[in-house]
Amino acid sequence: MEILKISKNDFISFIAKKLTKNESKTIGVVKKGSHYVFAELNSSADLCLDYDVTLLPPKKYFQPPKEVLLKFTPKKPESYEAVNTCEPITIIGIHYYDLVAIYLMDKAFSEGERDENYMKKRENSLLIGIYPTKHFKHRFARSVTRGQCRKVADLMLVHIGDDLVVEVLTEKGKKYLEGAKTVENDYSISEIEDAKNIVKDDQKIPVPVELTPEYLEKKYAHPAWEHFGDKCFSCGSCVLVCPTCYCFDVREEMELSLAEGKRVRVWDGCMLEDFAVVADGHNFRRSRSERFRHRIFRKGKYLPEKYGYFGCVGCGRCADACTADIAGPVKVLKYMEENS
Amino acid sequence: MVAQENYEYREKREIQKNSIYLPEIATLTRKEIFTPFDTFFEFELKERCLGHLPGQFAEVSIPGIGEAPISISSPPSDNKTFEMVIRNVGTVTNAIHLLEIGDTIGIRGPYGTSFPMENLRGKSLLFIAGGIGLVPARSAILYALQHREDYKEVTILFGCKDPAQRLFANELHEWKKRDDIVFHETVDTTELSTYIELTHMDLSYRGPVDEWKSKKWTDNVGVITTLFPKLNGVDPKETYAIVVGPPVMYKFVIMGLHDMEFSDDHIIVSFERRMKCGVGKCGHCQMDHIYVCQDGPVFYYEDIKHLKEAI
Repeated sequence: MEILKISKNDFISFIAKKLTKNESKTIGVVKKGSHYVFAELNSSADLCLDYDVTLLPPKKYFQPPKEVLLKFTPKKPESYEAVNTCEPITIIGIHYYDLVAIYLMDKAFSEGERDENYMKKRENSLLIGIYPTKHFKHRFARSVTRGQCRKVADLMLVHIGDDLVVEVLTEKGKKYLEGAKTVENDYSISEIEDAKNIVKDDQKIPVPVELTPEYLEKKYAHPAWEHFGDKCFSCGSCVLVCPTCYCFDVREEMELSLAEGKRVRVWDGCMLEDFAVVADGHNFRRSRSERFRHRIFRKGKYLPEKYGYFGCVGCGRCADACTADIAGPVKVLKYMEENS
Repeated sequence: MVAQENYEYREKREIQKNSIYLPEIATLTRKEIFTPFDTFFEFELKERCLGHLPGQFAEVSIPGIGEAPISISSPPSDNKTFEMVIRNVGTVTNAIHLLEIGDTIGIRGPYGTSFPMENLRGKSLLFIAGGIGLVPARSAILYALQHREDYKEVTILFGCKDPAQRLFANELHEWKKRDDIVFHETVDTTELSTYIELTHMDLSYRGPVDEWKSKKWTDNVGVITTLFPKLNGVDPKETYAIVVGPPVMYKFVIMGLHDMEFSDDHIIVSFERRMKCGVGKCGHCQMDHIYVCQDGPVFYYEDIKHLKEAI
């Protein structure tokens, strides 16, 4: 892995030059009111590399909130046509934990039946990650992630003073930097590692991350589920903002002309009331406590047992977004610890 | 210009070939109404035979309406045709019920795990089918009957709500007459449901309702577990139970099988969950950590009995 250095100003000018070249759509973190979001960059001056958290994770670029899967003419199955439109994009400034989430989603969409709609978008993307320099009170990513961000990023940026240290992780990343005023890195490995960890998390999960599957197994009947289920609104905010949630619904829509239609997939969530309802009305997860428990078990037990990695990346967005202020896994695990 | 067109054409073909969501075409070749809300359909694929195993399902599409997962009711065959029985319960199934012979549908599949009929050769089989559970079970039953000499004892239990809700009535009649299988049937009640609470159905078809208004039901009455005392010849060490039915049925049937000393690795079940994509991505069919569309719908009870969301 090559390590380079570039001054922050030179990096911003380099991005400005890239924007004029228009080779691919450039997405960056920009300020929106008092929040930060991933959005198309119109000017390099809008780019924020120094932010606490974005409202939505970058998953919306690989699995859009609404995506067309098929086109058709109504009543004519012969007319079904698969749709997979995609344009090359570069995303700048993804925090390491959001990259870990992309790694998990890559596994989910490529293993078993390979979902080309997701994979094509991933193959046509260039990811530039960054280590956070701003504090976020709900973040607990350090206690649940390891180094998987380097498996998906093309470049990783580290703030040190007025410079950015650039870890070049792929050929694609190296090619992207052509024309940038990068110089040889002269920071030491320990300086770089310190800079990566400059912001500490306020929170961490009370159970070691490798042991959560075993831990949760014993807590299936814990009163926590009723306690939190009682307060839950089933609004789905937690699954909406979660970088590792990807469940979707599939629907058919007709154009007003009724002469054309499309089959789309839209974001869905297991926390919503009729997620597990079948045609005769039976709901396999009828109570809010059952749905609440399922979500925690999925992140803390099912996904780790299937993929070997904790199913939550500790971004803290759910804790922030939750209408009832109960969704954060740290809060739930702490409650279980305090009420064993 | 030509190179660009060629590239676009090739890309388009790749997209069609690689999409796991793109349906194939099948034509409706036969249709028979069984009850006011269950109809039998036979479809024929254009290009190939479905290549399914007993217990698998396929996703049926009506362009403009949607897609629904439906169990396949016919046994495996080399024909391009396959059979389904579909209950009219929603927008997609309603649209399927309105199809006429010659109309086409989209098909994706077959998906899911299957009843392990090959592994069970040399064993005895006990089929326990409740209501619409007979539809997927029939795929395995007909396979067993086609290969009757490969299995020892074959017993079939079928139970449904009332006499007017029996499926495959003609075949049930044939099964009763056979002397190489044991067949018992029951209904929960002889009172015919008034069907007023269900929507989307063709009330103009009253066939079995009118038939049973005048006919008297002389067979067993009671839930399916009331047939269990008739199974005194069944050897739990040599027999495998295949159980398919509505969610509420499993608990009681499995308790009854345990009373008959069936071990959990001799009990095979088929579960239903809400399915959308059918390929293990959309998440709706999750049962604990399992995606029922991929690791099911057929399970050995031994493998899933510890899953809290199973029964």
